[in-house]
Amino acid sequence: MKSRLLPAVVLATALFTAASATYAHHGTAGYDMSKVITVKGTVTKFDWSNPHCVIYVDAKGENGDVQHWALELGAPTHMTRAGWTKSSIKPGDAIAADTHPAANGATIGTTGMQSSVLKVVVNGVTLSTK
Amino acid sequence: MRDRSIVAALALLMTASLPLLWAQSSVPPEAGKIQKAPAAAHVPDFSGVWGPSGKTVNNWFPNDPRGQHPEQAPMTPWAEERFKAARPPFGANQTFEGINDPVQKYCDPPGVSRVYLYPWEFTFIQQQDVVYVLYEYTRTWRSIAMNKEHSKDPDSTWLGESVGRYEGDTLVVDTIGFNDKTWLDHLGHPHSEALHLVERFRRVDHNTLELQVTVDDPKAYTKSFTGTKVFSLSTSPMGEGICSMSETEAFQKNVIDPTTTKK
Repeated sequence: MKSRLLPAVVLATALFTAASATYAHHGTAGYDMSKVITVKGTVTKFDWSNPHCVIYVDAKGENGDVQHWALELGAPTHMTRAGWTKSSIKPGDAIAADTHPAANGATIGTTGMQSSVLKVVVNGVTLSTK
Repeated sequence: MRDRSIVAALALLMTASLPLLWAQSSVPPEAGKIQKAPAAAHVPDFSGVWGPSGKTVNNWFPNDPRGQHPEQAPMTPWAEERFKAARPPFGANQTFEGINDPVQKYCDPPGVSRVYLYPWEFTFIQQQDVVYVLYEYTRTWRSIAMNKEHSKDPDSTWLGESVGRYEGDTLVVDTIGFNDKTWLDHLGHPHSEALHLVERFRRVDHNTLELQVTVDDPKAYTKSFTGTKVFSLSTSPMGEGICSMSETEAFQKNVIDPTTTKK
Protein backbone atom coordinates (compact mmCIF):
# COMPACT_ATOMS: atom_id res chain seq x y z
CA MET A 1 0.00 0.00 0.00
CA LYS A 2 1.48 3.30 -1.00
CA SER A 3 1.95 5.83 1.74
CA ARG A 4 -0.24 8.91 1.70
CA LEU A 5 0.88 11.60 4.05
CA LEU A 6 -1.38 14.28 5.47
CA PRO A 7 -0.28 16.92 4.80
CA ALA A 8 2.22 16.08 2.08
CA VAL A 9 3.68 18.63 -0.26
CA VAL A 10 4.92 17.26 -3.53
CA LEU A 11 7.48 19.44 -5.21
CA ALA A 12 9.27 19.03 -8.48
CA THR A 13 12.05 21.27 -7.25
CA ALA A 14 14.48 21.13 -4.37
CA LEU A 15 16.14 18.09 -5.86
CA PHE A 16 19.66 17.27 -4.96
CA THR A 17 21.58 19.35 -7.43
CA ALA A 18 24.09 16.55 -7.65
CA ALA A 19 21.47 13.91 -8.38
CA SER A 20 24.06 11.85 -10.13
CA ALA A 21 26.65 12.40 -7.43
CA THR A 22 27.92 9.64 -5.29
CA TYR A 23 26.62 8.80 -1.90
CA ALA A 24 29.23 7.94 0.64
CA HIS A 25 28.12 4.32 0.54
CA HIS A 26 25.51 3.65 -2.15
CA GLY A 27 23.58 5.37 -4.95
CA THR A 28 19.99 6.48 -5.39
CA ALA A 29 18.53 3.45 -7.14
CA GLY A 30 15.75 2.83 -4.63
CA TYR A 31 14.45 6.40 -4.55
CA ASP A 32 12.26 8.55 -6.78
CA MET A 33 14.68 11.45 -7.20
CA SER A 34 12.15 13.39 -9.29
CA LYS A 35 9.86 13.80 -6.30
CA VAL A 36 10.17 15.56 -2.97
CA ILE A 37 7.66 15.21 -0.19
CA THR A 38 7.58 16.61 3.33
CA VAL A 39 7.32 14.16 6.18
CA LYS A 40 5.79 15.76 9.28
CA GLY A 41 5.62 14.08 12.62
CA THR A 42 7.52 13.22 15.75
CA VAL A 43 11.07 11.93 15.95
CA THR A 44 11.27 8.51 17.59
CA LYS A 45 14.99 7.93 17.09
CA PHE A 46 18.02 9.67 15.58
CA ASP A 47 20.69 7.17 14.61
CA TRP A 48 24.05 8.97 14.38
CA SER A 49 26.22 6.20 12.98
CA ASN A 50 27.88 4.83 9.87
CA PRO A 51 27.20 4.10 7.08
CA HIS A 52 24.41 6.72 7.20
CA CYS A 53 22.62 8.70 9.88
CA VAL A 54 18.91 7.91 9.97
CA ILE A 55 15.97 9.90 11.35
CA TYR A 56 13.05 7.75 12.41
CA VAL A 57 9.74 9.61 12.36
CA ASP A 58 6.19 8.69 13.26
CA ALA A 59 3.95 10.63 10.87
CA LYS A 60 0.20 10.68 10.56
CA GLY A 61 -1.18 9.21 7.37
CA GLU A 62 -4.20 10.42 5.44
CA ASN A 63 -6.38 7.88 7.11
CA GLY A 64 -5.14 8.84 10.54
CA ASP A 65 -2.87 5.87 10.72
CA VAL A 66 0.63 6.20 12.08
CA GLN A 67 3.34 5.71 9.51
CA HIS A 68 6.86 4.84 10.54
CA TRP A 69 9.37 6.61 8.36
CA ALA A 70 13.13 6.18 8.07
CA LEU A 71 14.93 9.10 6.44
CA GLU A 72 18.57 8.58 5.59
CA LEU A 73 21.24 11.26 5.67
CA GLY A 74 24.98 11.31 5.11
CA ALA A 75 27.47 9.55 7.38
CA PRO A 76 28.27 11.26 10.72
CA THR A 77 31.51 12.66 9.29
CA HIS A 78 29.65 14.26 6.41
CA MET A 79 26.82 15.52 8.61
CA THR A 80 29.39 17.13 10.91
CA ARG A 81 30.74 18.97 7.89
CA ALA A 82 27.19 20.09 7.19
CA GLY A 83 27.04 21.65 10.64
CA TRP A 84 25.01 18.96 12.40
CA THR A 85 25.80 17.10 15.62
CA LYS A 86 24.47 13.96 17.25
CA SER A 87 22.25 16.24 19.31
CA SER A 88 20.73 18.17 16.38
CA ILE A 89 17.68 15.95 16.60
CA LYS A 90 16.28 14.14 19.64
CA PRO A 91 13.44 11.71 20.24
CA GLY A 92 10.25 13.65 20.85
CA ASP A 93 11.18 16.55 18.55
CA ALA A 94 8.58 17.85 16.14
CA ILE A 95 9.98 17.53 12.65
CA ALA A 96 9.13 18.47 9.08
CA ALA A 97 11.68 16.95 6.72
CA ASP A 98 11.82 17.07 2.95
CA THR A 99 12.78 13.79 1.38
CA HIS A 100 12.98 11.88 -1.89
CA PRO A 101 10.69 8.94 -1.16
CA ALA A 102 11.27 5.30 -2.00
CA ALA A 103 10.14 4.45 -5.51
CA ASN A 104 8.13 1.45 -4.31
CA GLY A 105 6.04 3.49 -1.87
CA ALA A 106 7.77 2.27 1.29
CA THR A 107 8.00 4.77 4.11
CA ILE A 108 11.69 5.29 3.44
CA GLY A 109 13.33 8.39 2.06
CA THR A 110 16.63 10.04 1.40
CA THR A 111 16.95 13.47 2.97
CA GLY A 112 20.72 13.96 2.80
CA MET A 113 23.55 13.04 0.47
CA GLN A 114 27.08 13.44 1.81
CA SER A 115 26.99 16.93 3.34
CA SER A 116 24.06 18.24 1.31
CA VAL A 117 20.73 18.08 3.11
CA LEU A 118 17.20 18.87 2.03
CA LYS A 119 15.16 21.16 4.25
CA VAL A 120 14.72 19.81 7.77
CA VAL A 121 12.82 21.82 10.38
CA VAL A 122 13.03 20.67 13.98
CA ASN A 123 10.88 22.34 16.63
CA GLY A 124 10.41 25.25 14.24
CA VAL A 125 14.14 25.73 13.53
CA THR A 126 15.60 24.95 10.10
CA LEU A 127 18.77 22.92 10.41
CA SER A 128 21.85 23.57 8.30
CA THR A 129 21.56 22.32 4.74
CA LYS A 130 25.04 23.23 3.53
CA MET B 1 117.96 -1.71 28.90
CA ARG B 2 118.64 0.61 26.03
CA ASP B 3 115.62 -0.84 24.12
CA ARG B 4 113.42 -0.16 27.08
CA SER B 5 114.61 3.41 27.11
CA ILE B 6 113.78 3.83 23.43
CA VAL B 7 110.30 2.38 23.93
CA ALA B 8 109.71 4.59 26.92
CA ALA B 9 110.82 7.63 24.96
CA LEU B 10 108.53 6.77 22.08
CA ALA B 11 105.63 6.25 24.45
CA LEU B 12 106.36 9.56 26.08
CA LEU B 13 106.50 11.23 22.69
CA MET B 14 103.18 9.76 21.61
CA THR B 15 101.51 10.68 24.86
CA ALA B 16 102.75 14.22 24.56
CA SER B 17 101.40 14.40 21.02
CA LEU B 18 97.90 13.22 21.88
CA PRO B 19 96.56 16.61 22.98
CA LEU B 20 97.82 18.12 19.74
CA LEU B 21 96.18 15.38 17.68
CA TRP B 22 92.89 15.75 19.52
CA ALA B 23 93.07 19.49 19.08
CA GLN B 24 93.59 19.18 15.37
CA SER B 25 90.55 16.87 15.03
CA SER B 26 88.32 19.28 16.94
CA VAL B 27 89.30 22.53 15.30
CA PRO B 28 86.05 24.44 14.85
CA PRO B 29 85.05 25.66 11.38
CA GLU B 30 86.54 28.93 10.47
CA ALA B 31 84.38 31.67 11.85
CA GLY B 32 81.94 33.11 9.32
CA LYS B 33 81.92 30.04 7.11
CA ILE B 34 78.89 27.74 7.62
CA GLN B 35 79.28 24.24 6.37
CA LYS B 36 76.38 23.31 4.13
CA ALA B 37 74.77 19.88 4.10
CA PRO B 38 74.60 18.15 0.75
CA ALA B 39 71.68 19.43 -1.30
CA ALA B 40 68.60 17.23 -0.81
CA ALA B 41 66.62 15.98 -3.80
CA HIS B 42 63.44 17.98 -4.49
CA VAL B 43 60.47 16.54 -2.60
CA PRO B 44 57.14 18.00 -3.66
CA ASP B 45 54.85 18.90 -0.79
CA PHE B 46 51.59 16.97 -0.64
CA SER B 47 50.74 17.96 2.90
CA GLY B 48 47.18 18.64 3.90
CA VAL B 49 43.91 16.75 3.76
CA TRP B 50 42.50 16.13 0.30
CA GLY B 51 38.77 15.89 -0.28
CA PRO B 52 36.32 15.60 -3.17
CA SER B 53 36.23 18.50 -5.57
CA GLY B 54 32.61 18.09 -6.60
CA LYS B 55 32.88 16.33 -9.95
CA THR B 56 31.60 12.78 -9.90
CA VAL B 57 33.99 10.13 -11.15
CA ASN B 58 32.70 6.57 -10.91
CA ASN B 59 35.38 4.80 -12.93
CA TRP B 60 38.75 5.41 -14.58
CA PHE B 61 37.70 5.12 -18.22
CA PRO B 62 38.51 8.55 -19.62
CA ASN B 63 35.64 8.68 -22.11
CA ASP B 64 32.96 7.97 -19.52
CA PRO B 65 34.04 9.11 -16.03
CA ARG B 66 30.51 9.02 -14.61
CA GLY B 67 29.90 5.54 -15.92
CA GLN B 68 26.85 6.13 -18.04
CA HIS B 69 27.87 3.37 -20.45
CA PRO B 70 29.91 0.97 -18.33
CA GLU B 71 29.32 -1.93 -20.72
CA GLN B 72 31.48 -0.17 -23.33
CA ALA B 73 34.69 -0.64 -21.35
CA PRO B 74 37.35 -2.64 -23.27
CA MET B 75 36.81 -5.82 -21.30
CA THR B 76 38.10 -9.29 -22.06
CA PRO B 77 35.59 -12.16 -21.91
CA TRP B 78 36.93 -12.95 -18.42
CA ALA B 79 36.13 -9.46 -17.19
CA GLU B 80 32.83 -9.22 -19.02
CA GLU B 81 31.52 -12.31 -17.28
CA ARG B 82 32.27 -10.82 -13.90
CA PHE B 83 30.96 -7.41 -14.86
CA LYS B 84 27.62 -8.85 -15.91
CA ALA B 85 27.28 -10.57 -12.54
CA ALA B 86 27.94 -7.36 -10.61
CA ARG B 87 25.03 -5.56 -9.01
CA PRO B 88 26.57 -2.19 -8.22
CA PRO B 89 25.25 0.63 -6.04
CA PHE B 90 26.36 3.39 -8.43
CA GLY B 91 26.24 4.37 -12.07
CA ALA B 92 23.94 3.43 -14.93
CA ASN B 93 23.34 -0.07 -13.56
CA GLN B 94 22.86 1.01 -9.94
CA THR B 95 20.46 -1.05 -7.89
CA PHE B 96 19.37 -1.68 -4.32
CA GLU B 97 18.34 -5.26 -5.04
CA GLY B 98 20.65 -8.18 -4.56
CA ILE B 99 23.65 -5.90 -4.09
CA ASN B 100 26.92 -7.81 -4.26
CA ASP B 101 29.24 -4.83 -3.95
CA PRO B 102 31.94 -6.28 -1.66
CA VAL B 103 32.29 -2.99 0.21
CA GLN B 104 28.59 -2.49 0.81
CA LYS B 105 27.87 -6.13 1.52
CA TYR B 106 30.95 -7.27 3.42
CA CYS B 107 32.78 -4.08 4.44
CA ASP B 108 35.71 -5.33 2.35
CA PRO B 109 38.46 -2.77 1.70
CA PRO B 110 37.58 -0.69 -1.36
CA GLY B 111 40.98 -1.26 -2.95
CA VAL B 112 43.57 1.19 -4.18
CA SER B 113 41.89 2.42 -7.34
CA ARG B 114 38.31 2.50 -6.06
CA VAL B 115 38.95 4.24 -2.74
CA TYR B 116 39.54 7.54 -4.54
CA LEU B 117 36.08 7.44 -6.11
CA TYR B 118 34.29 7.82 -2.76
CA PRO B 119 33.51 11.32 -1.45
CA TRP B 120 35.89 10.94 1.47
CA GLU B 121 39.27 12.41 2.35
CA PHE B 122 42.84 11.17 2.40
CA THR B 123 46.22 12.50 3.41
CA PHE B 124 49.92 11.77 2.93
CA ILE B 125 52.71 11.27 5.42
CA GLN B 126 55.93 11.78 3.50
CA GLN B 127 59.05 10.28 5.00
CA GLN B 128 62.37 9.82 3.24
CA ASP B 129 62.11 6.09 2.60
CA VAL B 130 58.36 5.60 2.73
CA VAL B 131 55.22 7.54 1.98
CA TYR B 132 52.06 6.59 3.82
CA VAL B 133 48.62 7.36 2.46
CA LEU B 134 45.81 7.40 5.00
CA TYR B 135 42.27 7.02 3.70
CA GLU B 136 39.30 8.25 5.70
CA TYR B 137 36.85 5.77 4.22
CA THR B 138 37.17 2.44 6.01
CA ARG B 139 40.20 3.94 7.82
CA THR B 140 42.58 2.12 5.51
CA TRP B 141 46.20 3.10 5.04
CA ARG B 142 48.99 1.91 2.77
CA SER B 143 52.74 2.30 2.59
CA ILE B 144 54.75 3.19 -0.51
CA ALA B 145 58.42 2.21 -0.43
CA MET B 146 60.35 5.05 -2.04
CA ASN B 147 63.07 4.52 -4.63
CA LYS B 148 62.92 0.75 -4.33
CA GLU B 149 62.27 -2.01 -6.79
CA HIS B 150 59.37 -4.43 -6.56
CA SER B 151 60.00 -7.79 -4.96
CA LYS B 152 60.28 -10.67 -7.37
CA ASP B 153 57.22 -12.52 -6.13
CA PRO B 154 54.95 -10.26 -4.08
CA ASP B 155 52.02 -11.61 -2.13
CA SER B 156 48.51 -11.06 -3.45
CA THR B 157 47.00 -8.55 -1.06
CA TRP B 158 44.09 -6.12 -0.82
CA LEU B 159 46.25 -3.05 -1.41
CA GLY B 160 49.12 -4.56 -3.38
CA GLU B 161 52.83 -3.80 -3.14
CA SER B 162 53.64 -0.17 -3.87
CA VAL B 163 56.94 1.45 -4.78
CA GLY B 164 57.27 5.12 -5.50
CA ARG B 165 59.54 7.88 -6.73
CA TYR B 166 59.37 11.60 -7.35
CA GLU B 167 59.56 12.86 -10.90
CA GLY B 168 59.83 16.59 -10.56
CA ASP B 169 56.62 17.71 -8.89
CA THR B 170 54.91 14.37 -9.35
CA LEU B 171 54.72 11.41 -6.99
CA VAL B 172 54.63 8.27 -9.12
CA VAL B 173 53.38 5.13 -7.40
CA ASP B 174 53.67 1.73 -9.05
CA THR B 175 51.64 -1.11 -7.57
CA ILE B 176 51.41 -4.83 -8.29
CA GLY B 177 50.59 -7.85 -6.17
CA PHE B 178 46.86 -7.35 -5.85
CA ASN B 179 44.31 -9.98 -5.00
CA ASP B 180 41.23 -9.91 -7.25
CA LYS B 181 38.65 -9.44 -4.50
CA THR B 182 38.06 -5.73 -5.00
CA TRP B 183 36.22 -3.93 -7.76
CA LEU B 184 38.26 -1.64 -9.94
CA ASP B 185 35.60 1.05 -9.60
CA HIS B 186 32.06 1.81 -8.42
CA LEU B 187 30.43 0.17 -11.43
CA GLY B 188 31.46 -3.41 -10.85
CA HIS B 189 34.31 -3.53 -13.36
CA PRO B 190 36.63 -6.27 -12.09
CA HIS B 191 40.38 -6.55 -12.06
CA SER B 192 42.61 -9.59 -11.88
CA GLU B 193 45.70 -10.38 -9.82
CA ALA B 194 47.68 -9.24 -12.84
CA LEU B 195 46.61 -5.65 -12.29
CA HIS B 196 49.44 -3.17 -12.61
CA LEU B 197 48.37 0.23 -11.33
CA VAL B 198 50.25 3.49 -11.69
CA GLU B 199 49.16 6.56 -9.76
CA ARG B 200 50.54 10.00 -10.53
CA PHE B 201 49.89 12.67 -7.94
CA ARG B 202 50.61 16.29 -8.81
CA ARG B 203 49.80 19.35 -6.76
CA VAL B 204 48.51 21.66 -9.46
CA ASP B 205 48.31 24.58 -7.05
CA HIS B 206 48.19 24.91 -3.29
CA ASN B 207 44.53 23.88 -3.10
CA THR B 208 44.34 21.37 -5.94
CA LEU B 209 45.66 17.83 -6.28
CA GLU B 210 45.42 15.96 -9.55
CA LEU B 211 45.52 12.17 -9.62
CA GLN B 212 46.01 10.19 -12.80
CA VAL B 213 45.39 6.47 -12.52
CA THR B 214 46.68 4.15 -15.24
CA VAL B 215 45.19 0.67 -15.30
CA ASP B 216 47.10 -2.09 -17.02
CA ASP B 217 45.47 -5.51 -16.63
CA PRO B 218 45.77 -7.67 -19.75
CA LYS B 219 43.69 -10.46 -18.20
CA ALA B 220 40.75 -8.10 -17.70
CA TYR B 221 41.13 -5.35 -20.32
CA THR B 222 42.24 -5.38 -23.92
CA LYS B 223 44.14 -2.15 -23.50
CA SER B 224 45.43 0.03 -20.72
CA PHE B 225 43.70 3.28 -19.92
CA THR B 226 44.21 6.37 -17.78
CA GLY B 227 41.62 8.33 -15.86
CA THR B 228 41.91 11.54 -13.90
CA LYS B 229 40.34 12.88 -10.76
CA VAL B 230 40.92 16.18 -9.02
CA PHE B 231 40.82 16.79 -5.27
CA SER B 232 40.59 19.95 -3.23
CA LEU B 233 42.47 20.91 -0.10
CA SER B 234 40.08 20.50 2.81
CA THR B 235 39.81 22.41 6.07
CA SER B 236 37.91 19.54 7.64
CA PRO B 237 39.94 17.04 9.66
CA MET B 238 39.53 13.39 8.74
CA GLY B 239 36.72 11.66 10.61
CA GLU B 240 35.87 8.11 11.50
CA GLY B 241 34.77 6.33 8.35
CA ILE B 242 34.99 2.86 9.77
CA CYS B 243 32.93 0.22 7.98
CA SER B 244 31.26 -1.89 10.65
CA MET B 245 29.43 -5.06 9.64
CA SER B 246 26.89 -4.69 12.45
CA GLU B 247 26.06 -1.12 11.44
CA THR B 248 26.03 -2.04 7.78
CA GLU B 249 23.61 -4.91 8.38
CA ALA B 250 21.30 -2.72 10.47
CA PHE B 251 21.21 -0.09 7.73
CA GLN B 252 20.55 -2.74 5.11
CA LYS B 253 17.65 -4.10 7.12
CA ASN B 254 16.09 -0.78 8.14
CA VAL B 255 16.60 1.30 5.00
CA ILE B 256 17.75 -0.62 1.93
CA ASP B 257 15.66 -3.80 2.13
CA PRO B 258 12.28 -2.04 2.56
CA THR B 259 12.89 -0.14 -0.68
CA THR B 260 13.27 -3.38 -2.63
CA THR B 261 10.06 -5.13 -1.60
CA LYS B 262 6.99 -4.66 -3.74
CA LYS B 263 4.25 -2.55 -2.20
